[in-house]
Amino acid sequence: MPSVTLLGQALISGVLAGGLYGLLAMGLSLSWGLLRLVNLSHFALAFLAAYIVYELGTNYHVEPWWSAAMVVPAMFAIGAGQHWLFDRFKVNELGSLLMTFSFAVILEVAIQLYWTADFRRYETEYATRSLKVGPFYIPVLDLTLCIVAGALAWGTWLWLRQTYVGKALRAAAEDPEIAAAYGVNHKKLAYLLSGIGAAYAGVAGTFIALIATLAPAQIWTYLGVVFAVVIIGRLGNPLGALLAGMLIGASESLAQAVLSPAWSPIVSFSVLIVILLWDPEWL
Amino acid sequence: MAVNPARDLPRLAAVIGIGVFALLPMAKLPAFYDSFLYLVFFWISLSTSWTLLSGFAGYFSLGHAAFFGIGMYATAVLSAKFDVPFLLTLPVAAAIPALLAVGIGAVVFRLRRLRGELFALLTLAVTFVIATIVLNTPIDGGGGIVMSAVPLPAIMPTPTGSIYALGFVLCVGTLAIAWKVAHSRLGMGLFAIHDDEDVAEAKGVPTFRYKLSAFALSAGIAGAVGGVHAMYVGFLTVSGTFELTVPLYVVLMSVIGGSRSWFGPAIGAAFITTLLYAFISGGEAMIGRALVGVILIVAILWLPDGLVPALKKWLARRRPAIAKPAIVHVAPVVATARPLGERVLLQVRGAAKRFGGLQALAGVDLDVREGEILGLVGPNGSGKTTLINVISGFYPLSGGTITIDGAEIGHVPAHAIARRGVARTYQIPRPFVNMTVLDNVILAATFGGPPRRAADIRDEALHWIGFTGLAGKEDVLPAGLNLHERKFLELARALAAKPKLLLLDEVLSGLNPAEVDNAIRLVRAIRAQGATIVFVEHLMRAVIELSDRIAVLNEGKLFALGAPRDVMRDPRVVSIYLGKAYAA
Amino acid sequence: MLLEARHLHVGYGDAPAVWDVSLDVGAGEIVSVIGPNGAGKTTLINAIAGLLRCRQGELRFDGAEMTTVKAHDYCSHGIALVPEGRRLFVKMSVEENLELGCYLSAARAGRAQSLEKVYGLFPILRDKRGQPAGELSGGQQQMVAIGRALMARPRIVLFDEPSLGLAPTIVDDMFDIIAKVRQDGAAVLLVEQNVLKALEVADRAYVLEQGRIVAEGLPAELLKQPHIREAYLGV
Repeated sequence: MPSVTLLGQALISGVLAGGLYGLLAMGLSLSWGLLRLVNLSHFALAFLAAYIVYELGTNYHVEPWWSAAMVVPAMFAIGAGQHWLFDRFKVNELGSLLMTFSFAVILEVAIQLYWTADFRRYETEYATRSLKVGPFYIPVLDLTLCIVAGALAWGTWLWLRQTYVGKALRAAAEDPEIAAAYGVNHKKLAYLLSGIGAAYAGVAGTFIALIATLAPAQIWTYLGVVFAVVIIGRLGNPLGALLAGMLIGASESLAQAVLSPAWSPIVSFSVLIVILLWDPEWL
Repeated sequence: MAVNPARDLPRLAAVIGIGVFALLPMAKLPAFYDSFLYLVFFWISLSTSWTLLSGFAGYFSLGHAAFFGIGMYATAVLSAKFDVPFLLTLPVAAAIPALLAVGIGAVVFRLRRLRGELFALLTLAVTFVIATIVLNTPIDGGGGIVMSAVPLPAIMPTPTGSIYALGFVLCVGTLAIAWKVAHSRLGMGLFAIHDDEDVAEAKGVPTFRYKLSAFALSAGIAGAVGGVHAMYVGFLTVSGTFELTVPLYVVLMSVIGGSRSWFGPAIGAAFITTLLYAFISGGEAMIGRALVGVILIVAILWLPDGLVPALKKWLARRRPAIAKPAIVHVAPVVATARPLGERVLLQVRGAAKRFGGLQALAGVDLDVREGEILGLVGPNGSGKTTLINVISGFYPLSGGTITIDGAEIGHVPAHAIARRGVARTYQIPRPFVNMTVLDNVILAATFGGPPRRAADIRDEALHWIGFTGLAGKEDVLPAGLNLHERKFLELARALAAKPKLLLLDEVLSGLNPAEVDNAIRLVRAIRAQGATIVFVEHLMRAVIELSDRIAVLNEGKLFALGAPRDVMRDPRVVSIYLGKAYAA
Repeated sequence: MLLEARHLHVGYGDAPAVWDVSLDVGAGEIVSVIGPNGAGKTTLINAIAGLLRCRQGELRFDGAEMTTVKAHDYCSHGIALVPEGRRLFVKMSVEENLELGCYLSAARAGRAQSLEKVYGLFPILRDKRGQPAGELSGGQQQMVAIGRALMARPRIVLFDEPSLGLAPTIVDDMFDIIAKVRQDGAAVLLVEQNVLKALEVADRAYVLEQGRIVAEGLPAELLKQPHIREAYLGV
């Protein structure tokens, strides 16, 4: 049995790593829960953003935060553009899944053609910094990520609960016809939401650039666990997505510390299976 | 037997094709061609096996990698670690995934309101769980399994040729199975499940068993394909085996080709595999992948049903419509006219049904006599449709008993009730939308009536189509019918099951007056054939005209029963419809 | 006339259709359309609310031609629907459901005032304001549906079977509310199965049978004629 300090450190790293799961899950959760569109290209968009941040930082010495300020709006535009296709061709849930898978493949190829299949690492001074709290180390970047993810999740949650636009989106997800009868222009709002979802991929991508080593095939590594996170956190709920992400991150990390690293995926998917069988209405 | 070019030419072509491909490795082509063709066969088998459940019955699985991967590991472990001869491992590679599928299906298919996405996600999650277990147990252990020491049976002159031959056998076998299923009762039932599972069950399709069978078959084939593939790859790793792109490619190939057709996935698989590998030689594999991506997007947007249906439509449009002679000869169905007697066919005693806090039926007692038309009326929410739903088995009873011909049916699954001679129609017609009018009726006749020869069933189906005035529309899809015709298709389907008891749920609603008159004539004609009819209807003029007796339900109980005009003039009945003041 | 429908033809999918229906609702008037189940009442009212497209005919509201107006712009003309089966946003709270009623900016300005009015009409909703609407009883849900419509500050409220599935005492309350809506200045078009209640509250009424208007007139006159009895009882 590992020491208490080790377990504590595993827990902290897990929660912090889970922040990235949550951040990636948020955009997916919004478009799936509120628009009934499953966007598999979300991960590819995040990696595209990551590569752009890397490129700008490495070759043009742009600070990552400035890169993010450019990349995130660009992602918003891409998300809204994708939605135009969904809207124009009346794509359903399954169609969106297959289509965005194709998008993801195309983006993966584009990334590989430009940046090659080699591993890329964005070296910044932030990467090595960490805080020491008692016996535990907290990497500054991971902490920043969690704070940003937390702020976004909380902000989005409030936006959905407190503003008329947010309420209209939730209402239209339940009954678009009646929402329209009270003046909700669901189509217009859907573009906004698709854009926001993709913009979150841009935010996640910025952090991926700073934290992870980049390779085109990495696009697919997050897919499984993030999907589990989206569902466990309940579709359309950004706070739920973040909390589920942290929960899964922590349990994975603990499973790694106690069992062996390779056992960790079983946690999220077992939880997912149990939830879905226990309450099929959870989706 | 006379030569029929339309039928025999494709057969001849198939035989020649199979022969040529089977003997191809003898030609000792460069190994590249053997491998490439093997991969085409591999993807054809995999996507065709997927379509048996997911395409035919509409339950999209994203877990195909799990079954395929288990097959791979079963063969690898048995042959590499336990020295079992390679060919002997294949049945095991098929059996384990099939059993797993039965296990998963037995749990998942029992979930009420199992949504499509839920099934897709569950199967996907199962894949990840199995991958993790394989990785962390001695099955793999993290190091992968090397197959190089396993002797490959020398079926062909070269090793690649032997693998090719095995892949080819599986491919032809899978296609043969898919063809067989598509042209069997099982396939017919699965297509019906795809379109409307509740209706399929009500028409007598044992949906649970059929879904399980298709799932097991699908998984078993995937496992056998995996077993051969283990030999092809030579070195197994968990991340390479349980890859997410496997189910996604399988889905895409099937959808592109046409997942409701037995050979659609094969065409999609051949097409995409060729595209993917056409670029490898030039070192442009990435461009190839991107191109596949673009083609997929275009296909999903413009050919949402897949290539095969789109081609069929195109061919049908090019071929000048042959003026079909109206059906002249309709095989007569001998009507066993039963006298209106006192014998009770349907007996309902204390039937109760509650939904959460709502008591929809609060103990209904009702006898329906053989040969009569009983009108079932009552204000909104009085429980009429619920009563139809419990009699036909859509809902199990919460209390009381229902017997037909003395046999208790209150807790029997709907398909078994249908086989005991109860047929129903739906207020809003629910035809199987991807089946022609003729196939809709054939399905009902096949699963509802007694076992008969296919030709007899077809004749009978044609008879009922003619009887309901739909002659000439046999090959039309339900979307091409108007509401009136769809209501009559409902009737034709119900009649084709040769029911003892016919339950009609608002056949007249939404029809215009001329259509209503037509429908009333038809119901009379049905009765003249000796059927017993219970019908729910709001159009009171018609109820009075048609019924022998009227039963009025109110608040989930039988409120009044008797001759039509007497009942509807009864002040108590008037008061529940129009209020006490009006009755007075 | 506030609302004028002329020779409307509506039909969709497999639902009952209506043919050649003409009806009027004057400002401040309560008009009932009665008819048995399946007569096409809901189809008719959904078309007037903009949820369904009319195949043919004219629909004018306060002089404006409505058949070309987009569904989400009907509300801005002052038309609010209390749909059959209530169709609340069941996962959202009671107050959020009400707020959806004043989604459009004109009504949004009067949110606080409108909320007070609705809570005044239905005090129980104030206590349940934070609860998901799906957890309320049938009668309370109907109150939310009516409240949601009132929040839009409509010039006409379309009621679709407000008494459906409610206990008799609650039905009486609902019809009292309908009368109050008119006192507030809005016109009412009411579609109902419950003949006596619908006629009691109405200024004028139409009888719909099998998608067609078979009789119209003052409630007292209609009660004397055989149309209603024939439509509902067939004798």
